[in-house]
Amino acid sequence: MPPGLDALKHIVVLMMENRSFDHMLGSLKAVNPQIDGLAGTESNPDTNGNPVQVQPLAEFQSQLDPDPDHHFPSVDQQIFNGDQSNPRVPSMQGFVRNYYQQQQDVAHSQKIMYYFPQAKLPVLTGLATNFAVFNRWFASIPGPTICNRAFAHYGTSFGQVGMDIFYPKGKSIYERLEDAGRTAKLYYFDQASSTMEVVNLLQHQPQLFGTYDQFLADCQSGTLPDYSFIEPNYTDHDNDDGAQLASDQHPDHNVQQGEIFIASIYNAIRENANLWASTALLVVYDEHGGIFDHVPPPSCTPDGYSAGPADTGLNYTFAFDRLGVRVPAILISPWVPKGLIVGTDRVFEHASIPATVTKKFIGDYAAATPREKNAQTFLDLLSLDTMRTDSLYFNV
Amino acid sequence: MTTRKQAKKTERRVKARPQLVGDVTYIEVPHPATSAMNKNRPVSTLIQAQLKHMHHAERARLPKAKRDGRDLGDFRTEGEAASYISAVTKVLHPHAQKRAKSKAAR
Repeated sequence: MPPGLDALKHIVVLMMENRSFDHMLGSLKAVNPQIDGLAGTESNPDTNGNPVQVQPLAEFQSQLDPDPDHHFPSVDQQIFNGDQSNPRVPSMQGFVRNYYQQQQDVAHSQKIMYYFPQAKLPVLTGLATNFAVFNRWFASIPGPTICNRAFAHYGTSFGQVGMDIFYPKGKSIYERLEDAGRTAKLYYFDQASSTMEVVNLLQHQPQLFGTYDQFLADCQSGTLPDYSFIEPNYTDHDNDDGAQLASDQHPDHNVQQGEIFIASIYNAIRENANLWASTALLVVYDEHGGIFDHVPPPSCTPDGYSAGPADTGLNYTFAFDRLGVRVPAILISPWVPKGLIVGTDRVFEHASIPATVTKKFIGDYAAATPREKNAQTFLDLLSLDTMRTDSLYFNV
Repeated sequence: MTTRKQAKKTERRVKARPQLVGDVTYIEVPHPATSAMNKNRPVSTLIQAQLKHMHHAERARLPKAKRDGRDLGDFRTEGEAASYISAVTKVLHPHAQKRAKSKAAR
């Protein structure tokens, strides 16, 4: 076994909200052409048929307001540009036209093509260029948050393509770990932000949960569980510590606050030398939030479920056989080669998370979902023979 | 901010830095403007869904007399939504409440 895998005792996943790969990391192609970001010539037609090119003009806030639509019918339009034929090819040409529907304002609709220059995101780009960045990590479903996050927790959404409450017919990764005598925790930011896993887990198994403050304390004391899943702050609100700015980066929340949150998670692990040597941190986004990405989502192993027109909002049944839009994903560990780019030949999605955690801490698991069984796992990226001595630290 | 204030702030940060072993690159992370905060922002579809899930859990867990009593339509802003989500989470996850109290007592 590679020494990095041998040393690995903790996996931490931080799942942010609603930003596409190109929007956040697309500018890195200029740093390293192997990163499948933006050349600067990618475009979408606007409602007048004029091409709208990508531009490095993304702002931290107030630009993607109203929130771009990212529910199933809109994502279908973004990917297929209204093509309803069968079979059809994903063109990624419908983002501007879809965003136009929000305000009927041609100029405003063009902002969906804006991306961040690397200098504006020192945390995300620092991590991406110093550790491993995935060229092909996709949302599990071409739809919104809840069904996509379900794949990270269960390896499936049990047939859901939307935001409805769902009732699991299988065990979450946290329950599996508990059953196997291992430890797991979902850390939410605070009580006013809470979790997106309310009905299924918080209601029935509160022992699985902790808060962000507890995560920081657990890092300091070296008592992190085998597996940790972290949720950012989903709202601007007050708590006992004062005003709390949303850190999830969901439009129209401030992107800089999300950078600070990512940095604080990384720093908490980095500050404890033993933890740093024995932890892999994955920073990933749940879905693209309706924002442009140039890579067509590939087909995938069917999930065993189907969602009919009443659920998809379209005139066809979805067989869970295509992934959602590509999202940023970065794996951080001192055992990962510096500047590693995980190539286009390896396709990851959120089912890769329970698949990887199960493989590491449980081993064979017969009840894994079809998507999970076929998902790529990522711990082989901890491939160095000796631990790196270089690292980053963020002054926040 | 004046140059002197900036220098003081940088000095405080450097003093607060943990002593890390190895070749460490320190990266400055800018903070958002105070105007970024907006508790009156209308709730997104994500928060609307979270409110529905919380409401569902509240009804499943609490007798009618102990429920919040407000209608979901009452929560139009993030600040309003957060106050309800906080109240329900306190019931669903009392362990976190105990931690909050012990933190406040310190």
